[in-house]
Amino acid sequence: MNRRGFLRVATGGAVGVTLLQAEACHSPLRQQKVANDVTPRVEIPTTCDMCVNKCSMIAVVEKGIVKKLNPNPENPKSKGMLCARGNAGIQQLYDPARIKHPMIRNGERGEGKWKVVSWDEALDFAAQKLSAIKEKYGPQGTLWSSSESFQEVFFRNLGQAFGSPNSVRHPTLCLASVNLAYSVTFGTVPSFDVQNARYIIMSGANRLESFITPDTMDLVDATTERKARLIYLDPRFTKTAAKADEWYPIKPGTDLAFILAMLNLIIGENRYNKEFVSTYCTGFEQLAEHVKQYTADWAAEETQIPAKDIQRIAREFADAAPRAIYYAGRRSSWSRDDFSMRRGQAILNAIVGSWDRQGGMVPNAKVELGELMFLPWDDPVAPRVDELDKNFPLAAKGDGVYLKLRENVLAGQPYPVKGWMIYKQDPMSAIPEQEKTLQMLRQMDFVGVIDIQMSDTAWYADVILPESTYLERLDPVEMLGGIRPVVLYRQPVVKPLHDTKPAFEIVQGLAKRLNLFQYFDYTMEQWIAEQVKTLPMDLPLEYLKKHGVYSPAEYPKYGTTLKPDHRFVTKSGKIELFSERLQGAGYDPLPVYHPPSEVPTGKFRLVLGRVAFHTHANTTNYPWLSSFAPENTLWIHPKAADSLGIGAADRVEVASGVGSVRLKAQVTPKIRPDCVFMQHGYGKRSPWLRLANPGGSDAQLLETAWDKVSGGAALHETFVKVRKV
Amino acid sequence: MATRTKRYALAIDAKKCIDCKACVVACRAENGVPVGKSRNWINEELHGDWPKLMAVFEPEQCHHCEDPACVRVCPTGASYQRPDGVVAINSSECVGCRYCMIACPYDARFFREDLGVVEKCDLCAHRLDRGELPACVETCPSKVRVFGDLNDPTSEIHQLLEKRQYRVKKHEAGTGPQIYYLL
Repeated sequence: MNRRGFLRVATGGAVGVTLLQAEACHSPLRQQKVANDVTPRVEIPTTCDMCVNKCSMIAVVEKGIVKKLNPNPENPKSKGMLCARGNAGIQQLYDPARIKHPMIRNGERGEGKWKVVSWDEALDFAAQKLSAIKEKYGPQGTLWSSSESFQEVFFRNLGQAFGSPNSVRHPTLCLASVNLAYSVTFGTVPSFDVQNARYIIMSGANRLESFITPDTMDLVDATTERKARLIYLDPRFTKTAAKADEWYPIKPGTDLAFILAMLNLIIGENRYNKEFVSTYCTGFEQLAEHVKQYTADWAAEETQIPAKDIQRIAREFADAAPRAIYYAGRRSSWSRDDFSMRRGQAILNAIVGSWDRQGGMVPNAKVELGELMFLPWDDPVAPRVDELDKNFPLAAKGDGVYLKLRENVLAGQPYPVKGWMIYKQDPMSAIPEQEKTLQMLRQMDFVGVIDIQMSDTAWYADVILPESTYLERLDPVEMLGGIRPVVLYRQPVVKPLHDTKPAFEIVQGLAKRLNLFQYFDYTMEQWIAEQVKTLPMDLPLEYLKKHGVYSPAEYPKYGTTLKPDHRFVTKSGKIELFSERLQGAGYDPLPVYHPPSEVPTGKFRLVLGRVAFHTHANTTNYPWLSSFAPENTLWIHPKAADSLGIGAADRVEVASGVGSVRLKAQVTPKIRPDCVFMQHGYGKRSPWLRLANPGGSDAQLLETAWDKVSGGAALHETFVKVRKV
Repeated sequence: MATRTKRYALAIDAKKCIDCKACVVACRAENGVPVGKSRNWINEELHGDWPKLMAVFEPEQCHHCEDPACVRVCPTGASYQRPDGVVAINSSECVGCRYCMIACPYDARFFREDLGVVEKCDLCAHRLDRGELPACVETCPSKVRVFGDLNDPTSEIHQLLEKRQYRVKKHEAGTGPQIYYLL
């Protein structure tokens, strides 16, 4: 979306005004006007923003108050459902702890003294600080952090127009290793056709608690209707484990051994898809030679999964292909070798021919959206502060590598970074080793936060620019690629309750004061008008206002890339089993297994995961959701608990090499005896998030470790001591 | 029993339940249920020892009995049964005596201290009257519940119960529960 071009919409606001005045067709069920205080009842289709899935929903608004959010069945991705978090969107809107006005710090950082100010004062203050840093350190002295939002594009553009090369996004705290592994292999990151698969293997991708649409719903259907067999590897007995046909509490960090042994057997027994491999893949001979060493007996020792099961699963998987998938998941990195493990999965999926076939991996289809042309700015001159070219040459430049970036900022290398603008992100909760994040905040001359709630990061800010929530604002149209691509519309269902603004207007306000307004001289309505021009209907905006979502009927389509002359977006134009690109960058061209560090005596491996009723660290202050778990607990196996004299509901201290927290023990057989688990999002510092304060924060415990190739934070490399207190 | 034109009921395919709590929050939002109380809930059972474990998740709410004990014991007539089978409470008639809470074999009712009345699931009667599904049924990601009119031979629930085996909970209580758990 950060496309450069010449300003084409020079005619000013005319387009926008027309669109603003254009009322949609008034069906009795759905009206598109923002409800005012006397409207008895309207139903407005819009798009959820309580997690990353962007489900379609219908807001029921009575007399200007959102009464209920109902699922919108027109979206083939969200499939007529709204989860616990989606239903709790009302509590985000009406949260008494929302940031209701712009505020400037009026005491020490983190002291919690704030002065409520006008927007002019807040924006003037932020712009002065940013300009002063630019003056002293250059534009590269500022860091621009943001996470997924339909309005993120404006924030990122402001950082670039300001001249900073330093944008950092969430992928290296999330799925960077998956994305890179599939990109290296296939030249793209495909979706998985869970709905039509017959054999699914999941390594820890706890899809029934960590929702991804439509995979979660399709997986329930596939397993409970006996359409597919689910093999699930996880040190914890999750809800996904409960629905799996087979659950193996694999030794953490050994998944690649399991995968390599499958490759060994499938190739050794000639069970791979020879025609597919010879037509579409390159490097098979090197792969075959490489995996000879990885036998099932060897893998059994590593993984603690019996060899006969590994062999049987490998045969069943190959037999079920192409409707067989080793599901990639969408999850943070676990180990320093996470990328290799994801590569192994990609290669396994490739050699059985589960590519672009029903029930296999499917490259994402897209719907083209138009783009508003705006004035281009000069590219930033300075290199990135995380020195990606040197440290992670294959990592996504626009996303950055968070942990390396923090390390360099703390060291002042290769240059000082003294200003930090943060949009919709909470680095204090999201990044391992919270103490270092706090140091990073403290060494800044200026910290500005755009958010809706007083996150632990906002608590340490100098200025807070409160954003309107997704139920109060008009967003750019969003296209989600997939097996069934969708175009989503998010329209305001109520007027802003407080003195808040959409991120776009905040960006414009800053841009004006930074003399960058020429790059943002358009309206949201103009932006949207350009986007929808390409949609195949007479009145696309009216359609979106009425339906909230558009999905072309012609999908799913399979086999569009299955032509012998198809060029994959890789160096060789083929699916790269052996990767020269990796080799050239100094990495293993084929996935090489390195055993994980052993759990030291007297310690446990800390593992993390999700529950279906929370989104990361964002939702723990909403009573409807945290009532299910008013504090987080430490899962510990009965054998381990016994040996430490820990009983049910005892309080324990959990200590790693970088911090310690106290929380309640939950003695449960649902976890391996050598691991402990705790839920993310609790133990917050910000007193505004009262319900999120109890329990302990995993960010305080996790040690800094990253996947060697993608730079993704390796979240299962921390060992902890546990004692009763 | 008088012949009904409609007989609303729920069929629950508990094996599809992933304990995600969407139904619980949807009900809370739809019916203004205060935190700490709930009109619907999910029973969780864990069996076996590590690593041979099995978990069962089973959603439950008022069973909308054919012969509801709560209605029988209500001294004021606040608890009543609609012609479509839905058991509901007219809160303006409720005096908060809580006899119904003792009578209910399913513990499906709770007392609202703030209002002095008893509450429970009424299958979102106000939504049914608008032609909508109960909130818990509609919002469910894995579509665990099938709601419908048992008296309508073309309804999904009618057809489902014709071809699938099912059980009801606490059959022995004799109240004629109308949540059918599919086997």
